[in-house]
Amino acid sequence: MHQKGSDPVWCGGLLERGAELAALEEALAAVRGAREGRLALIAGEAGIGKTSLLRAFHDAHADAPTFRGGCDPLFTPRPLAPFLELADASGGPLAARLARAGTPADVLAVLSEELPRRGPALLVVEDMHWADEATLDVVRLLGRRLEALPLLVVLTYRDDHLDRVHPLRVVLGELSSPAVRRLSLGPLSPTAIAALAGDASVDADALARRTGGNPFFVTEVLAAGGAEMPETVRDAVLGRAARLGAAARRILDAVSIFPPRAELSLLEACVPGYPDGLEECLASGMLHPEGAAVAFRHEIARVALDGALRLHDRVELHRAALRALGRALPPDPGRLASHAEGAGDRDAVLRWAPVAAERAAHVGSHREAAKQYARALREADGLPPEQRAALYERRSYECYLTDQMPEALEARLRALAAHRLRGDRLREGDAHRWASRLRWFLGENEAAEREARAALDLLEGLPPGPELAMGYSNMSQLRMLARDAGDAIVWGERAIALAERLGEHEILVHALNNVGTARFQAGDPEGRATLERSLDLALVGGLEEHAARAYTNLAAQAVEVRNYPRADDYLGRGIDYCREHDVDSWRLYMTGWLARSHLDQGRWDEAAEAAATVLRYPNPAAPSRIKPLTVIGRLRTRRGDPEAWDPLDEALRLAEGMAELQRLAPVAAARAEARWLAGEVDLVAGETEETLDLALRGGDPWAAGELAVWRRRVGLRDELAAADLAEPWALELAGDAEGAAARWDAIGCPYEAALALTSAEAEEPLRRSLAVLERLGAARTAAAVAHRLRSRHGVRGIAVGPRAATRANPGGLTGRELDVLALVSEGLRNREIAARLYVSEKTVGHHVSAILRKLAVPTRGQAAAEAARFGIGKR
Amino acid sequence: MNLYAILRRSGWSSAAELGEAAERSTRVGEQMPDDVRWIRSYVLDEGAGSVGTVCVYEAESPEAIRQHASRAHLPVDEIIPVADTVIVRPDPQPAATA
Repeated sequence: MHQKGSDPVWCGGLLERGAELAALEEALAAVRGAREGRLALIAGEAGIGKTSLLRAFHDAHADAPTFRGGCDPLFTPRPLAPFLELADASGGPLAARLARAGTPADVLAVLSEELPRRGPALLVVEDMHWADEATLDVVRLLGRRLEALPLLVVLTYRDDHLDRVHPLRVVLGELSSPAVRRLSLGPLSPTAIAALAGDASVDADALARRTGGNPFFVTEVLAAGGAEMPETVRDAVLGRAARLGAAARRILDAVSIFPPRAELSLLEACVPGYPDGLEECLASGMLHPEGAAVAFRHEIARVALDGALRLHDRVELHRAALRALGRALPPDPGRLASHAEGAGDRDAVLRWAPVAAERAAHVGSHREAAKQYARALREADGLPPEQRAALYERRSYECYLTDQMPEALEARLRALAAHRLRGDRLREGDAHRWASRLRWFLGENEAAEREARAALDLLEGLPPGPELAMGYSNMSQLRMLARDAGDAIVWGERAIALAERLGEHEILVHALNNVGTARFQAGDPEGRATLERSLDLALVGGLEEHAARAYTNLAAQAVEVRNYPRADDYLGRGIDYCREHDVDSWRLYMTGWLARSHLDQGRWDEAAEAAATVLRYPNPAAPSRIKPLTVIGRLRTRRGDPEAWDPLDEALRLAEGMAELQRLAPVAAARAEARWLAGEVDLVAGETEETLDLALRGGDPWAAGELAVWRRRVGLRDELAAADLAEPWALELAGDAEGAAARWDAIGCPYEAALALTSAEAEEPLRRSLAVLERLGAARTAAAVAHRLRSRHGVRGIAVGPRAATRANPGGLTGRELDVLALVSEGLRNREIAARLYVSEKTVGHHVSAILRKLAVPTRGQAAAEAARFGIGKR
Repeated sequence: MNLYAILRRSGWSSAAELGEAAERSTRVGEQMPDDVRWIRSYVLDEGAGSVGTVCVYEAESPEAIRQHASRAHLPVDEIIPVADTVIVRPDPQPAATA
C-alpha cells in the first residue's frame, strides 16, 4: 500500500486534487478575511469525484458552519430541493423561516440572514445540472448579491451533457465576476490509478484505459473483482450487486426507485423481510446511511440498478411506495405523483400531479409545474371536458411563463376545443384571445389577427365583462404593433372605457400602454404622457409585467426617434426594475434594445456584449432575438468579421414571420449595408423595396429615411417628399452631406455621421469619415472609404488600421467605465461616484462589476492599481 | 464552439512585450472559459525586432474573440473561420516555451 501522507498524488485523502483543494482553501480564506462572498463552480463528469472533493474539504474545515443540499435526479425535481434539504438537516429558525419562504427572493433573504449567524459559512449545492427553476433563480440572485455575503458558495455540476440550451448554462454565463472561481475535475492519471488499486492484482494501465480515469468507475471495477474487467460502469455496478445475497439485492432494488434517497420507514413498508440484507448493503459500501435514510454511493449506481429492474417488479415497488407515502403526513404531492405514474395508477396521478404543479408554481418553479400538468394530462382522457380544459389552461400558462411558446399554444388550443365542445362561449372566446397572443410570440402575425377577431366575435355577443375588455385591448395591441395607430387607438379606447367601468385595473394599464404607444407612432406628443400614466399605475399596483412593458415601449419609442439620452434613461431604469423583480423575458427584450442603442452611439463592444447576453438564452421568443441578431450582423459587417450573414438571415426570417415594420426596417437596412460593403449593389433594391413602402405607409420617417438613403447610395432614385423623412436622412438625400453629418453628430450617432460624409465629393470630408470609422473599429467600412479616396482623389499611402479600435482604450474598458475607474482610484464609494456622474448608485455598481471583470481583478484596490498602470486616476 | 485563425500582425516591438501579452491573454481567457479557448499560436518574425502572431482559437463567436482581445489588450487584424484541419506532422518543438 502507498503511504498516503507522503505521496504527492495523495492530498487530503484524495488523489490528484491538490490544486482544487488549494483553490477552495484560498476562497475560504478570502471569505474569512475580507468578509466578502466567494463562489466556486466545480465541474466534471459523473463519478469524477466532485462530492469526494467537497467531503475532503469539509473534513479539513469542520469548524466552518456548513450547509449542504443536493438537487433531485427526478424528471420533475422538487422545487427548492437543496435548500429544503439543508434546512431539514439544520432545523431551528432556518428551517422554520425557509418553510414559510415563497419566492426565490424570500429564500435568498432567509439564507443571507441565517447562514452566516455563526461567522463565515460554507454553502454547498450539489448536482446543479438537475436543479429546478426556483433553485436556479436563488443561485442567480446569490451570484448578484455575493459581495455582501460572508459565504463561500460551492456549486457542483456535470458538464459532460450540458448542452447549449441547458438552463444551467444561462445561469453559469451570468456568474462571471472576480469572486467566481471555476474548477474542472479531470480524469486520474495511470499513476494515481495504480495508487488506488494498491496491491490488488490489477493491470493499472488497462484499468486506466477502460475507465477513462473516472474514480467511481475505477473503484467499482476494483470492488466487483472477478476475472474479467467489466466493459462499462453499469456492468461493474451490476456485477458488484450480483455478488450480494438475495435479501440485499431486494433492498438495492427498492432503494433504486427512491431517488435521491430512501427513508428506512419506506423500505420497511415496501420490502418483504426488511431489514434482512440492509446491513450487507451498508457493509459492502454500495449504500451509505444518510440520517434515517440510505442512498447509493453514487447516482450512477442507482440508475444502473433501476435500469436493470424487471418491469413487473418496478411497478410493484412503485405501488408499495405509493401506499406507504399516501399514509405519510403531510403528503408530498411531487413524490406521490411520480410513484403514481410508475405504478400506472391513473387516479392517483390525477389526484397528485395537479397539486404538485400548483405547489411548484407557487414557489416559481414554473417549468416543473408545466411538467406536472403534462403528467396529469397524459392520464386525463377519461376526465370530463371541463376538468381537462382547466388542466390544459394551467399547463398553457406555465409554458407561457417559461418561454415554451409552441407547447403553450398547443395546450391552449386543446382547452379551446374542449370549451367549444361544451358550448362555453365565454371561455372559448378568452382562449382565442390567449391563442392570439401566443401566436404573436411565435411570429405568426396573420394567425394572431384571426384569433383576435374570433375572440371578439364570440365575446361581443355576451354581456360585457373582463374577457371582452381584454379582447379589445389585445386587438389594440396587435394594431399598434402593426403600426396602424388609428385602429389601435379606437380599440384601445373601447378597452379603457370598459375596464374603467368594470374596475379592472390591470386591463386598464394594458390598454393605456397600447394607446400611448400608438399615439407616439402617430406623432402625438401626448403619447408619452399616456404611457407614463400606464407605467405609474403599473408601478403603484405592483403589476410587474405591465411595468416592464411600459418601460420597454417608452424606451423603444425613444430609440426609434433617436432620442438616446431618454432611451438610455428608460432602458437603465427598466432593466434594473426587471432584474430586481426577476421579469426575465422583458429584461432580455430591453437588453436587445440596449444593444441597438449602444451600436447607434458608437459603443460597439458594449453593443456586442448586450446582444450576446440575449442570444445566449436558449429559446427567447422571436421578438427578443431579432434586434440583437441585427446588431451582431451589423457589427460583423462593419468590422469585416466572418459569419455576418447567419444572424442577418435568421433576423430576416423571424422579421418576415412577424411582418411588423419595427422588426423589418432595421433588418432591411442592415442587409442593404452588408450588400453595399460586399459590392453587391444591385441586390440593395430587393432588400429594401417592400419595407420602404411599408415605412412610408406606416408614416415612420426614420425607417423610411434610412432605407431611402441606402437606396440612393447605390444609385437608386425614389420620388419622395422630404416631409416623409427624418431630417438627417432628408439632408443627405438633398445632397447636403455636411449638414447631415452635423445633425448625426448632434444626435450622437458617429457611424451615421461618417457614412453621411461619404456622399461628399471632396477629399477632406472623406478623410474625416475615414478617421471616425477607424476609431470605431469599422475596418471593412474604412477600407471602402479608403478605396474611394484612392480611386477618386488619387490619395496614396493611407494606412487602414483596423487595430485602432482595440487599442483605443486600455483594458478594453469603455469610455464610461474609464470615468468610473478614475473615480474608484480616487477612493470614492459607489454613492459618491453616482452623485458625481448623475447616475443611479446601481448603475455605478454595474460599471464597477464590469471593470473588475474586464481587468480580471478581485478588488477595487487592485483595479486602482491597474488604473495607475494605464496612467489614469489619482490625479 | 468554432475554430478561428486570428491574425495579429506586427503587434509587438519585442519578444518580451509579446510574453507579457501572452500572460494577459491567459489570465483573461481563464475568466471566459465558455466563450474562448486558446489552442495555439505561431509567432511571426516581422523584421526589425517586431513580432506578430497567427493564433488559433476556439470561440463562441467573432465577438467573443474581440472581447477577449480587447480585455487582454491584444490587437486583431483579421478573424478567419477555420473550415478544416489537416495535420501532416506534429509541430516541431517550440524554440522556447512562452
